[in-house]
Amino acid sequence: MPESRGRSSLGDITHVVAVILLATSVALTVCALGGILLRDGSVYPLAASAVIVAGVGGVGRYFTHVPDDLNHREGFATVSLAWTAVGIAGAIPYIASGAIASPIDALFESMSGFTTTGATILVDIETVAPGILLWRSLTQWLGGMGIIVLGIAVLPYLGVGGMQLFRAEVPGPTKDRLRPRIRETAKLLWMVYAGLTLLLVALFLIGGMSFFDAVNHALTTLPTGGFSTRNASMGAFPPFIHWVTVVFMYLAGINFALHYRALRAGWQPYWRDGEWRLYTTIIAAATLLVAVTTHVPGNSLEGTLRTAVFQVVSIVTTTGYGTADYVLWAPFAQISLFLLFFVGGMAGSTAGGPKVVRVLLILKHGFGEMRRYLHPRAILVTKLSGMPVPPEVMLNVFAFMILYVGLFGVGTLLMAGTGMTLASSAAAAATSISNVGPGFDQLGPTANYALVAGWGKLVMVVLMLVGRLEIYTVLLLFHPGLWKR
Amino acid sequence: MRILILGAGEVGFHLSRQLSEEGHDVVIIEQNRERVRAIEHAVDAMVVHGNAASLVTLEQAGIQRTDLLLAVTSLDEINLMACLSASQYEVPIKIARVSKPDYFDRSGILPPERLGVDRMINPERECAIETYQLLQSAAATEIAQFEGGRVQLIGLRVRPGAPVAGRTLAELGKERRRSRYLVAAIVRGGKTIVPRGADSIQDGDQIFVIGEPRHLPEILPDAGYTGFSLDRVVIAGGSREGLLLAQMLEEHRIGCTILESDRTRAVRLAETLNSSLVLHGDATDLDLLEMEGIGDADGFVAYTGSDETNLLSCLLAKNLGTPKVIAMIERMNYIPLVSRVGVDAAVSPRLATVNAILSYVRRGSVLSVATLKGTSAEAIEFDVASTYPHAGVPLSAVKLPAGSLIGAIIRGERVIIPQGSDAVRVGDRVIVFTLADDIAQVEALFA
Repeated sequence: MPESRGRSSLGDITHVVAVILLATSVALTVCALGGILLRDGSVYPLAASAVIVAGVGGVGRYFTHVPDDLNHREGFATVSLAWTAVGIAGAIPYIASGAIASPIDALFESMSGFTTTGATILVDIETVAPGILLWRSLTQWLGGMGIIVLGIAVLPYLGVGGMQLFRAEVPGPTKDRLRPRIRETAKLLWMVYAGLTLLLVALFLIGGMSFFDAVNHALTTLPTGGFSTRNASMGAFPPFIHWVTVVFMYLAGINFALHYRALRAGWQPYWRDGEWRLYTTIIAAATLLVAVTTHVPGNSLEGTLRTAVFQVVSIVTTTGYGTADYVLWAPFAQISLFLLFFVGGMAGSTAGGPKVVRVLLILKHGFGEMRRYLHPRAILVTKLSGMPVPPEVMLNVFAFMILYVGLFGVGTLLMAGTGMTLASSAAAAATSISNVGPGFDQLGPTANYALVAGWGKLVMVVLMLVGRLEIYTVLLLFHPGLWKR
Repeated sequence: MRILILGAGEVGFHLSRQLSEEGHDVVIIEQNRERVRAIEHAVDAMVVHGNAASLVTLEQAGIQRTDLLLAVTSLDEINLMACLSASQYEVPIKIARVSKPDYFDRSGILPPERLGVDRMINPERECAIETYQLLQSAAATEIAQFEGGRVQLIGLRVRPGAPVAGRTLAELGKERRRSRYLVAAIVRGGKTIVPRGADSIQDGDQIFVIGEPRHLPEILPDAGYTGFSLDRVVIAGGSREGLLLAQMLEEHRIGCTILESDRTRAVRLAETLNSSLVLHGDATDLDLLEMEGIGDADGFVAYTGSDETNLLSCLLAKNLGTPKVIAMIERMNYIPLVSRVGVDAAVSPRLATVNAILSYVRRGSVLSVATLKGTSAEAIEFDVASTYPHAGVPLSAVKLPAGSLIGAIIRGERVIIPQGSDAVRVGDRVIVFTLADDIAQVEALFA
């Protein structure tokens, strides 16, 4: 290690990114071991990828120091750069195994995994080596609760400046702290997450899935990812599995801090949370709308309801599994689902989208403004679960929604530039920034993204990352102020 | 009894004067030299200058020999600290005035006894509760509780043409329904009458009625009040009392609009309250009052820090058509004026505090005392001592002091609103109405 202890932002950032890459190589190694058990030959490309990633990470770590502290600027830069690096690292096994030939496609698949989008360019998933599919599922599981949050939980020295990283990665306008130490908070969140994943594996096995399918689908349900090992997605499994998946997608779309509190205090934390009430109401209302519009006389009511609730929960939580091709539904039902792209799950969950809490705050504030017309001298304060929301948080929420819609607009424009239809372009932009997975029109749940032009895929990759890190973290990289001393 | 009063503010001043006049040895600790001088002139009491929480000052004031500590400075922390110190000196009774709701522990972790406090009195809360009760009973100008609310006293003004107007109490007592409440005092032309059966009720009288809370509303139509329901209340002034009252109204799902002229305070209120509407504006801004439809509200409460503003805004609201207006009045001399200018009722956090403390001090056989505002009468609760000479004798045959009357008899679980045939027994608890001049005689009779 070099002797000089001069502190440099770039060195500190590089160090953390390098450590995250080393952690990624550990995950790759785990998959390689899985490849040995699966005996499909995937052990070689996975092991080779692990070595390459470990090499790059090792070099980066060797030439830098353990950071004393990270300020908030470095925190944002670190998180954006680490996610970019991990996205690239995750693409290596696809190329090395020959499962995906084009580097752009491999990057798309990798970023779609880590950001838990679940959009795929694979035309025939079932021909890909199981070991590679396991890696594909694992990228979603790691990205769901957040690779940085995982890093904070397991790497002691990331605890320093950890709050800066935590803030930059965890979704939502305000962050829950479960424990005084950020590291303990990160640990608890990961424990709840891992515990629910194990429970789901067990339930899937009871439902008759093979062990391989059970593990893969559990790894992609909890992060609300949506990658499947089957071409027919969840449609390949029986109704019991659908119901189990609905419940766990719903749970994954709830703030994990709430789950943790509920473990200790029972149901009350849910009831008391205004965001949870709206989240659940939206799901119930949307399910009802879709079920009424899609019900065909003669079909079983259970079947209609199951199909409706599955697609609704899958979209709201931005998972993206499918059991029906909703592109064939009436426009009313399709638009119902499309609007849900702009709601998403709860803050602090693994879901994407703008988050229910922001929608809730904007609705409340809008209602308050109407009250101001009736009472011009009224002092109006927007509240969330009984606590006043500071004006700067409200402004942040407004700016976020404007940026969100703006990026959706720009994204749609760029996608249309690749020659797609209006509906497909809008769907591609929305599904990317909200990390959902399936789109509409040419990009419905039974289609895939192989048909999108190369640079269109790159646009989607950027939108996925911007959406996963909730816009500001990534856009800050391009703000000159971030790099000024 | 040796009484140590901490703080010579309005509450401390009134307490010291009252208690000193009643023959107690009063010592006062006050930090402000001006106040020390003022109180030395006005009250026959020893005044010690210094910090009320300081052990040195407390010892100077003779805390070791004190029987009763009244910690009524304007600072909660000083009051609590002083009570804690006093409990080390083994002062038998310690009463603290505590305003901040944060110090009222609801979880039971830190009960007042642990802080060395026998009774915490929150002036703002007492005042807000009284206001709420006044609002609830549309016509009431005054409300007092006895026996933890089992017996209630309300004062109200008889409307012209009311069914009871022009009739004697003896006539009313014969009707079964109307014997469930008892007219205990009548105020007519500024003079207080403790009535006998031959006295009659006139239009415009202010009457004080005692009964069980479930029967008391029956007096309202009799006194000419019909068709009143409390759906919307406007509070002018977001003081601590205003906040407490708004919270009580919210709890009972009554619409509440609150006016506050200080912007920062208004924002605080809006953050704390849930369904209430907080307006930034002045309580006497007629345009604002009109714009917000104050006249359509069922009640208007003026809680600003200024008595004059409170009276004025109450008159504006009354003029706009609000049926019930209540003013908070700090200066006790103003209180008799209130009803004369057309304001329905007055409340005062300080008077509430003084009353609460006095009733505690006078206990022994005296349980509870309510000074009826704007009158010279008091309602006093006694446990009837074995020395009571007329035990078992029907009341019609007992000659009580001229200006006094028995309003209620509490016998175990029963509440009796007495008629001439009822008798008081030893061990009963009685609520007696008496003119101030006859208090001594009444005390001698029952205690």
